[in-house]
Amino acid sequence: MGTIQLKNVKKQFDKDVVIENLNLEIADGSFTVLVGPSGCGKSTTLRMITGLDDPTEGDIYIDGQKVNDITPGKRDIAMVFQNYALYPTMTVRQNISFGLENKKVPKEERERRVKEICEIVGLTEYLDRKPSKLSGGQRQRVALARAMVKQPKVFLMDEPLSNLDAKLRAQMRVELIELHKKLGTTFVYVTHDQTEAMSMADTIVLMKDGYIVQQSSPRELYNNPNCVYAAQFIGTPQMNVLRDVLPDGKMLGFRPEKLYFKDTEEPHIRISVRVATKEMLGSEIIYSLGSQYGTLMAKTDYEMGTGEEADVCVPFSAMYLFDSNEKRIELDEKELERIKAAFSR
Amino acid sequence: MKKKRSASEKRDRLLGVITAAPAAILLCVFTVYPVIYLIYRSLFSGSLISAKKEFVGVDNYKEIFFDETFHKVLANTVIYTVLFVGLTMVLAILIAVWLNGSRQKKLNNMVEACIFTPHVISMVSVSIVFLWLMEPDTGFFNMVLTKLGVGKYPFLSSPKTAMISLVLVMVWKSVGYYVLLVMAALQTVPVSIYEAAELDNTSKVRTFFKITLPMISPTILFTCVVASIASFKIFDAVNVMTQGGPVDSTNTLVYYIYAYAFRYGKPGIACAAGVVLLVLVCVMTYVQFGVSKNKVHYQ
Amino acid sequence: MQTTYERDIIVNKVLRVLNVILKAIVVVIFIFPFYWMVSTSLKDLTEALKFPPTLIPSSLHWENYAHVFEVVPIAQYFKNSVIVSVTVLILQYLIIVPAAYSLSRHEYKGKKLFFGLVLLGQMIPQQVTFLPVYFMFSKVKLLSTLIPLILPFISNPFGIFMLRQYFMQIPQEVIEAARLDDASNMKIMFKVMMPMAKPALVTIGLLSFISTWNSYFWPLIMTSKEALRTLPVGVAALKSSETLQMWHIIMAGNVVLVLPILLIYIVASKKIRNSFAYSGIK
Repeated sequence: MGTIQLKNVKKQFDKDVVIENLNLEIADGSFTVLVGPSGCGKSTTLRMITGLDDPTEGDIYIDGQKVNDITPGKRDIAMVFQNYALYPTMTVRQNISFGLENKKVPKEERERRVKEICEIVGLTEYLDRKPSKLSGGQRQRVALARAMVKQPKVFLMDEPLSNLDAKLRAQMRVELIELHKKLGTTFVYVTHDQTEAMSMADTIVLMKDGYIVQQSSPRELYNNPNCVYAAQFIGTPQMNVLRDVLPDGKMLGFRPEKLYFKDTEEPHIRISVRVATKEMLGSEIIYSLGSQYGTLMAKTDYEMGTGEEADVCVPFSAMYLFDSNEKRIELDEKELERIKAAFSR
Repeated sequence: MKKKRSASEKRDRLLGVITAAPAAILLCVFTVYPVIYLIYRSLFSGSLISAKKEFVGVDNYKEIFFDETFHKVLANTVIYTVLFVGLTMVLAILIAVWLNGSRQKKLNNMVEACIFTPHVISMVSVSIVFLWLMEPDTGFFNMVLTKLGVGKYPFLSSPKTAMISLVLVMVWKSVGYYVLLVMAALQTVPVSIYEAAELDNTSKVRTFFKITLPMISPTILFTCVVASIASFKIFDAVNVMTQGGPVDSTNTLVYYIYAYAFRYGKPGIACAAGVVLLVLVCVMTYVQFGVSKNKVHYQ
Repeated sequence: MQTTYERDIIVNKVLRVLNVILKAIVVVIFIFPFYWMVSTSLKDLTEALKFPPTLIPSSLHWENYAHVFEVVPIAQYFKNSVIVSVTVLILQYLIIVPAAYSLSRHEYKGKKLFFGLVLLGQMIPQQVTFLPVYFMFSKVKLLSTLIPLILPFISNPFGIFMLRQYFMQIPQEVIEAARLDDASNMKIMFKVMMPMAKPALVTIGLLSFISTWNSYFWPLIMTSKEALRTLPVGVAALKSSETLQMWHIIMAGNVVLVLPILLIYIVASKKIRNSFAYSGIK
């Protein structure tokens, strides 16, 4: 079974401490996405799970077994690299069966498994080509097939879709989700793209500066971010956070899509705004609005012209309150009164 | 606290050292040790055959520095280098620019291949063929010259003409190689610069002097230095064609070293002269590194 | 207008013809000496020295080649040359491949020193080291073998340098993928890295073979017995007293020396030129 645990893991390169103290548990059969900006330690975490990098301190367990001293090839894992890392001098067939050969899988079984996998990912007719004769999407499939054929406990993927064009990327995303359903194996996926994380993961691990900000399901992360960073990382445009309106350094956040140009039944506050810029997306429009509290972003289907003025409402139910350390705090009656007071001025 | 090294890191280091060891040992035995021993041995007299030798300090150096033959040898080596490098580079640039500018791709490739052929052939063969071609009485060149009414040219048989004849043979052998290098340099000049010059109605000669030459000059300079180092080491052609003669007119540094070691049986002197060669090579290599730093012409 | 345009066309045509003629002349300049060598080798003595010279031998005297095999043990020379060139060619890979691997893929103390050694090896010419090496082989009594012609050249520092460049260009991820595929270091070397560095390995092999085959200075010094001579040394000695002025015989010997390399060059001209160009620019 493919559970993964990292216990008190520290990683430093020479004097650079990339990860101070990381504790992470990845459930068996989950599709876990490590997401965060570049340099947050997500790739390093992945590489320590593979064994390509060793942790400076701490232990790593796969399937309950400590793997610190087990070589990458023996950890029963497979990885898909960002640039695919195919062997350029081998044919597709040799690329896929290389790992099986090393594991001394008998020839007939090797051939059977390669054939099987290639039918799944649709590579059968390209088996004898070199990677250089394949398109980007096909190379991606070879990389996937090479990982799948090993039938590993864990699939690791390091930004595998970032070299594809937008259309192909969307298609591969769906295919990966289906693949995960079909295999039921643990997937650990690293990306800096929050959309990718939200659309594919069943668990998101949001990282920053070498620590985990929040680990939860995509829905939970969107609805219940535990700090300003998590709140602003997910969603485009990012959550509006008003920093200088509330007393005691407290901050108020609300998502652009929860800013209404029409009146709502719910209890709400009201802000006068003026349309500064307008970005037409098709079904929705993104407005940048000038207000006395600073620039606010709004995402709605309501049509307005640039320079027009309006009053917008933000319902209390859509509000997030953060303390002066940017940590999420509960929005109780007392705080509600304070907010009302702040906005009635 | 000292940084802990994991087992895999240790294995990695060990493997690195083990794989480096054979080459490192061979390089020490056949490069480092000989250089040290050369300097050490240059301070002793003694013969080639017996192991007996006597410490003489810098006497060997004194001897060569007061030896008129050695002066001549150094002068010859420098003259040869200047003539060879100058002639080769000018010809190589002309041929390369000419071939680069004409559009007969297939023909050019053949011409290039032909010019380069002598470079892969052994110096011994080339020397023997030219010895025969330059034979004073029955050689092909003099037969043709006689037929043309120019009269016989002494080539390698006269002290006056031996050096230039030697240089011509070496240029013939090597120019193809330098054409290749200049061609490679020309390929790095962006076509758009030539197109801009053409739109400015620049003449071909002006384009060559104002654009092509300045653009490839860093590479040319680098190549000149490399060619000079190669010229210091000339031996094969001298030994096969002239044995340094006539009257030491083609006697060069390496031939001098060789002759002192194996003809006159004075390895101490040979080693001292060897140290002079070593110093020359070191100086030129230093120059080469200096030149190669600004080898690329940034736009 | 019309006339100048037409004149331009004519001028261009003339230029193109001139260009071709000039190129033909250049080709002749560089090929003729080889032709003259072969042509002389097939003449008899009288015709070889005849005035004016004949461009094409009046009759082909193949017996010159038989003769050259009689006057000197040229078959032995040929054998020695093949042994030395092929042994150097093969053995050097055993040394330079691990060395380049070490320099490109490992970190250890002394790595910089080792790299310095490789650069030094490229810089110091044979003409500086030959005497001490001669003494060394003389001391261990190996001068009566072919070892002095082989051993110093199998650590080919240029080869190490070039292969290192190639290995360093291999993306780290490809090696990591192989490690994840449970490939041993040996397997990574032979199945992944060496196939990817094939152009470099071929270039190194070609340059090494050509230079060893053609080498004269080193074997001249290191071979004391006639039976150990390589072709260049043997052929150069052909023009010594007993065959003096026998140019047809000397040229026959010379053809034997030139032919193998010339054949290789005809087959792989482009590849060889690229190899030399690379080694000159590096």
